[in-house]
Amino acid sequence: MKMAVFWGCRILTSQYAYEMSVRQVFPKLGVELVDLREATCCGGPVKSINAFAADYLAARALALANLTGLTDLLVPCNRCHFTISEAKHRMEINERLRLRIGELLKEDGLEYDPNINIWHVIDLLHDAVGLEKIKETVKKPFKGLELASHTGCQIIRYSDLGRVDDAENPRKLDELINVLGAETVDYSEKLDCCGAVLTYSHQDAALSLAGSKIKALQGLNVDALVVCCPACQMMFDSEQKDAGTAVGAKLDLPVLYYTQLLGLALDIEAEKLGLHLNQSLVDKLLTKLPA
Amino acid sequence: MSLIDLMSMAKPEKESMRKVLAKLGRSEFIDCFQCLKCTSGCTALKLLELKPHEIMKLVRLGFVNELAASEIIWTCATCLKCVQRCPQKGSPYHVIMALRNLAVEREAKVPEAYLKAVSQILENGLSQTIQKITTRKMETFDRTSLKLPKISAPKESFQTVFLKALEEKQE
Repeated sequence: MKMAVFWGCRILTSQYAYEMSVRQVFPKLGVELVDLREATCCGGPVKSINAFAADYLAARALALANLTGLTDLLVPCNRCHFTISEAKHRMEINERLRLRIGELLKEDGLEYDPNINIWHVIDLLHDAVGLEKIKETVKKPFKGLELASHTGCQIIRYSDLGRVDDAENPRKLDELINVLGAETVDYSEKLDCCGAVLTYSHQDAALSLAGSKIKALQGLNVDALVVCCPACQMMFDSEQKDAGTAVGAKLDLPVLYYTQLLGLALDIEAEKLGLHLNQSLVDKLLTKLPA
Repeated sequence: MSLIDLMSMAKPEKESMRKVLAKLGRSEFIDCFQCLKCTSGCTALKLLELKPHEIMKLVRLGFVNELAASEIIWTCATCLKCVQRCPQKGSPYHVIMALRNLAVEREAKVPEAYLKAVSQILENGLSQTIQKITTRKMETFDRTSLKLPKISAPKESFQTVFLKALEEKQE
C-alpha cells in the first residue's frame, strides 16, 4: 500500500515525535508514505477568519496529493483531517464553491481531485492494515500495562462527514492498544476536549481543560495516556506542567502518541520514535516495558 | 410592533441575519426548540460561559450585530459536540463560525493569534513557526538534528492566489 501524506503545520514545526514515529512504523506494516511537493496549512485556523479561504487551502492539499498520482492521503492530525474532510464535503454539495476553488487552483497550476481518500492513523491502522496484521508484526507485546486512550474531538465528529470512529463511544484506539497486549480503562472524562483550539484566544481556559483531564487520569493510576493528534499531544504532553499550574495539581502522567507506543511494541528504538522529545515523564512508562 | 432588547436597546436587524444565512448556505434558520443539548455538552460552558442555545436564539431573533461584536463567539473550542448532537441539525458551531467571519469583515476585535496565523500562512505556507525542542534532559533538537526532511515551501504563486481567496467577496 502506497499513499501520500499531508502533515499540516503543527507536526512539521514542533510535534516532531509524531512525524518520526509515523515515518518509522508504517513501512514496517507495509504502508509506504510519499511526502507532498509543498508543505502548507490545511486551512484550520483560517476557518474563523474566512471560510472560503480555508476551503481553498484544504482543496489545495487534496490537489497536491493529486500530483503524486496516488489516490490515498494520510492526514495524521485530527484538525487537518476535519478541515480537509469538511471542505471536501462542502465542495460535494456546493457546485459553485467547487468551480470557484477549481479556478483559483488552476491559477496556482493545480487541479482539485474529489476522488482522493482521506485517512487518519486510526482508521488506516484499524481498518486497512488491520488488527490481525498488527498482532502478527508485534515483536514485544506489553504485559500488565494499563493505559487510557484519548481519540480527540475532530476525528470522530461530526458524523455527516464520515469520521473514523463512533462520535460518542470511540473504541478503535482502545482496540489498537489492546492488540499490543496492554489493557485500557474506560473513564468518564474520555470525550473531554484537550482545549488546543482555545490557545488562540483563551490560554488559561485551554490549560485548565487539559489539566482537568490529566488530573482525573492520575486519580485512576493509569500508566500513560495515548493520543493520536499533535494538538492533543501539545496540550497533554508539551504543556502538561503549565496545565498542572492551571488546575493547581502536580501532574506527572506519561503521554505519548499511539504511533510511539506501536513502535515500542515493534521493537523500534525509543529515540527513533522521538520519545526523548516528549515533555511528560515517559521514562516512567519505558521502565515498565519488557526487556 | 417590533422586538427590542431593553438592556442594550438593540433591535433585530434583517440584513445581518441574511448575511449569516448566506454564510451558512441556508434559506432560513432552523427551528431550534431550545432543548439545550448543545449547551449541556459544551466544552466552553463551564470555564468561558459559552451557551450555544442562547446564540441560536439571538441569531434567530435578529441580534446578529451584537453577537458579531461580542467576545463570546471566540470562546468556542471547536469540539463539534453541538454539531453532532443537535436534533434539528442546527449546528451552533457553524453559526458561531459564520459570526466570526462576519466579525472579521466588520473589522471587529479578533483574537490576535488568528490574524497571526493567516499572515504566517501568507508568508511561508504554514500557520506556525518552526521551533527548536528542548528535551527533558535539556538537550536541544531541530528538524536537521532529528534527521527529518527539509520542509518544502510553496511556490511563489501560492501567496498571490491565497491572497485572492482571502479577498474574495463572501456570500
